[in-house]
Amino acid sequence: MDIKSVAKRLDGLQTVASMARNLQVKRSTAVNYAWRLRKSGHLERVYGGRTRLYHISPEVKGKEGYSFYDILNKNAKVKISAKEDYIIHADRKPGVEEVLARAVASGRFRIVLASLGLFRRVRNWPQLAYFARKYRIERKVGALYELARKTMKVRRMDERTKQGLLRGKRSGYIIERVKTRDFKDVERKWSVGIPFNRADLEVYKE
Amino acid sequence: MIRFGQQSAFFKLIGEEVDKIIECFVIGGSAMMFYGAKEETKDVDMVFMEKASADKIKEVLHKIGFREKKSMMPIFKRYEEATNKPTMMVRGDDRFDLFLKEIITCKMSESIIGRVRETHEFGNLHVKIVSPEDIILLKCATEREKDRIDALSLMEKFNIDWNIVIEESINQTRIGEEVFPVYLYDFLSELKDDLQADIPKDVLTRIRKIAEEEMVKVLKRGKSVVEKAAKKKGKAALRAA
Repeated sequence: MDIKSVAKRLDGLQTVASMARNLQVKRSTAVNYAWRLRKSGHLERVYGGRTRLYHISPEVKGKEGYSFYDILNKNAKVKISAKEDYIIHADRKPGVEEVLARAVASGRFRIVLASLGLFRRVRNWPQLAYFARKYRIERKVGALYELARKTMKVRRMDERTKQGLLRGKRSGYIIERVKTRDFKDVERKWSVGIPFNRADLEVYKE
Repeated sequence: MIRFGQQSAFFKLIGEEVDKIIECFVIGGSAMMFYGAKEETKDVDMVFMEKASADKIKEVLHKIGFREKKSMMPIFKRYEEATNKPTMMVRGDDRFDLFLKEIITCKMSESIIGRVRETHEFGNLHVKIVSPEDIILLKCATEREKDRIDALSLMEKFNIDWNIVIEESINQTRIGEEVFPVYLYDFLSELKDDLQADIPKDVLTRIRKIAEEEMVKVLKRGKSVVEKAAKKKGKAALRAA
């Protein structure tokens, strides 16, 4: 079967079993098709875990630009399956610090939740502060840093950067009009409403 | 003709020139290039939701050597009557068509905006790519042969959700003045008959039925689409006088 028509028939999320079912072939043949689809650029693995999930698309992605969600998913524990891809065309691949700031600026619950995991990967705190200033989210980033420190192992931010973030404009909420009763101390220190409660952050303790 | 790399280079240049974030939608051949369904396009079609953004891009294009072209080829149905013609910016063989909220007969509805599949950030220029279903719908309002070939290539490449195309054609009729399902039926029948496009028979039957119903509705309203357009044209002429 022509690989393009296979990609068209299997458009969407698939497992090896569902691929075999859709194509009416044996499991081993489906694995071979998966290999061919990957080689031709139609297949990408989405999630790890016990059953592998593949995203198959009839379109072959060009190599131009960097997908925001790809970078986020590569570095974060909470994965995002976005309906709409966001490609950044820049001379240099956006670093973890930039992606973190963009994620916080998005103001969307799951993306902000995923961004918490990126604090573990941050090495260049001044750069994070630079992007926080760029998107005018200094206090939000500071508050989320403290939250991340409470939930997981995160490197210590240097005092100079922290003070810089504290000088940012008071912005009210990380997610518009969403705040919980937990983490009041962080809220008071940074004057920002925290959208997560303790249960939301359990995912980082597993 | 503009190739994909060239188009990206133009967008990057524009993104560097504008000082604040400008959002636009890309339709037609340029959108197809983002999906890898086309190698090159005659023009880059950009749709803006705000006049200030369109003006800013026009200014930037002017700065990089593009000039506004006044006379245009009537590629859309009832093009002469249209009051919202695009601004056409030309530099040699390169052309940018700038639309504001509407693409001649089709409006940038909330549903089209909601179906956007990709956003590309070129500095301060954020380019949103409309879905393949919407590209097909937009192509059905034109009269060019190559648009039929483009639509065929989209159908071959993607699993087109025909429900979306049909729903949007009804929606366009509701919010605009055109009887879109009629255009769509015409367009798809031609594709099936002349180019052997893989369009399910039940889809065509459904669109035909909807087209007939919509035509009846228009006739019941007492004014034909042509009459409305003529009235609109008359008003415009009066205003000009």
